[in-house]
Amino acid sequence: MRTCCEVAGHKFSIEFPESYTRVPALAQYSPFTVEPDSSDLLFSLEVVESLPELDLKLVYDQQTEPGETKIRLFRCRQGWYCESAPTSESPVAARFLMSEDFSKGILEITAEGDPLFALNNSLMIQYAFSTASKGTLEMHASVIVNDGRGYLFTARSGTGKSTQSRMWLKAIEGSRLLNDDNPVVRVLDDGRAWVFGTPWSGKTPCYRNESAPVGAFVQIRRCSENKATRLGVVESYANLYSSCSGFKSDRAMADGLHATLAACVSSVPCFVLDCLPDEDAARVCCKAVKNV
Amino acid sequence: MKIKEGFRMRSILDAHMVVPEGPGMEGYNKMIALNASAAYLWENVEGKDFDVMTLTSLLVDKYDIDQETASRDAAKLLGEWVEAGVIED
Repeated sequence: MRTCCEVAGHKFSIEFPESYTRVPALAQYSPFTVEPDSSDLLFSLEVVESLPELDLKLVYDQQTEPGETKIRLFRCRQGWYCESAPTSESPVAARFLMSEDFSKGILEITAEGDPLFALNNSLMIQYAFSTASKGTLEMHASVIVNDGRGYLFTARSGTGKSTQSRMWLKAIEGSRLLNDDNPVVRVLDDGRAWVFGTPWSGKTPCYRNESAPVGAFVQIRRCSENKATRLGVVESYANLYSSCSGFKSDRAMADGLHATLAACVSSVPCFVLDCLPDEDAARVCCKAVKNV
Repeated sequence: MKIKEGFRMRSILDAHMVVPEGPGMEGYNKMIALNASAAYLWENVEGKDFDVMTLTSLLVDKYDIDQETASRDAAKLLGEWVEAGVIED
């Protein structure tokens, strides 16, 4: 069973063996499906019953908050190997081997693992790594589109990104949610940054194959009052840097991410919004981002 | 002393910052902004052994300032870098 998808202009395929008994429902990928024999695929992910023996060297062991996805990344002769679990207390769900250039991924879903979690997580990693050198950022953000512009709200998990989006939906007319957890930002040939909906939206089922030019990046911080402040270049860069996925210790990936971050920071205003979780925060935010 | 492995200077137009990009640095959550003269110094000592005298000489070479001023500025900047944790002996 083979499905081809396109997210933010990058195509990839997902394949399960015909005999596989645990194929998850792939409804979130439906809006992104394209013709199955696309020849210009950026990468492919193939699910297998088991991976071969690997000689591993640990290069990244994520320090997670309780409840956050746990990821460990290794290098091996074949390329890269990644293990994911839903939390640091859960057993490993996905064992994922990627070629050196990330174009070929093979995934073993463990007996204890949830197939959809294993697939989604591995795809997101493979997507982030293979697009890092192509003007593309996979971001941790919630996105509202209003009057033809996309506004990305960034912050650590639980700080209030989704709340800010909800407040816009309530208080700012003409707002629409594009994605609630993992949108993709891509800088196009003309230097403009666009934000795209993706099949990955955290706990909110918001899977929209739509896009908009980025109007602003807004970092959310909890505060006892509502105040928006424009950020300078370095602070803007720091904000985006910490909100995008990618293995920054890999020089080529870091260079690619930097180029895209620099383009975003040079062309899109960034703000920090100190705020309460209320509708006034959305109004203060809206006023700031539209008055640039 | 040297700049710790993994800290890289990145530039956007005329803004410069030190970014932690090395292996094992994922927990380091600070970025350091460098002004033009700090960026000049960083570029010239990256990957090399240096001390406050090296920085002083570089400042005297590039800017029209006396040894004493250069020495004070170099010491101050080096102190900031050490405090930020980007320098190792």
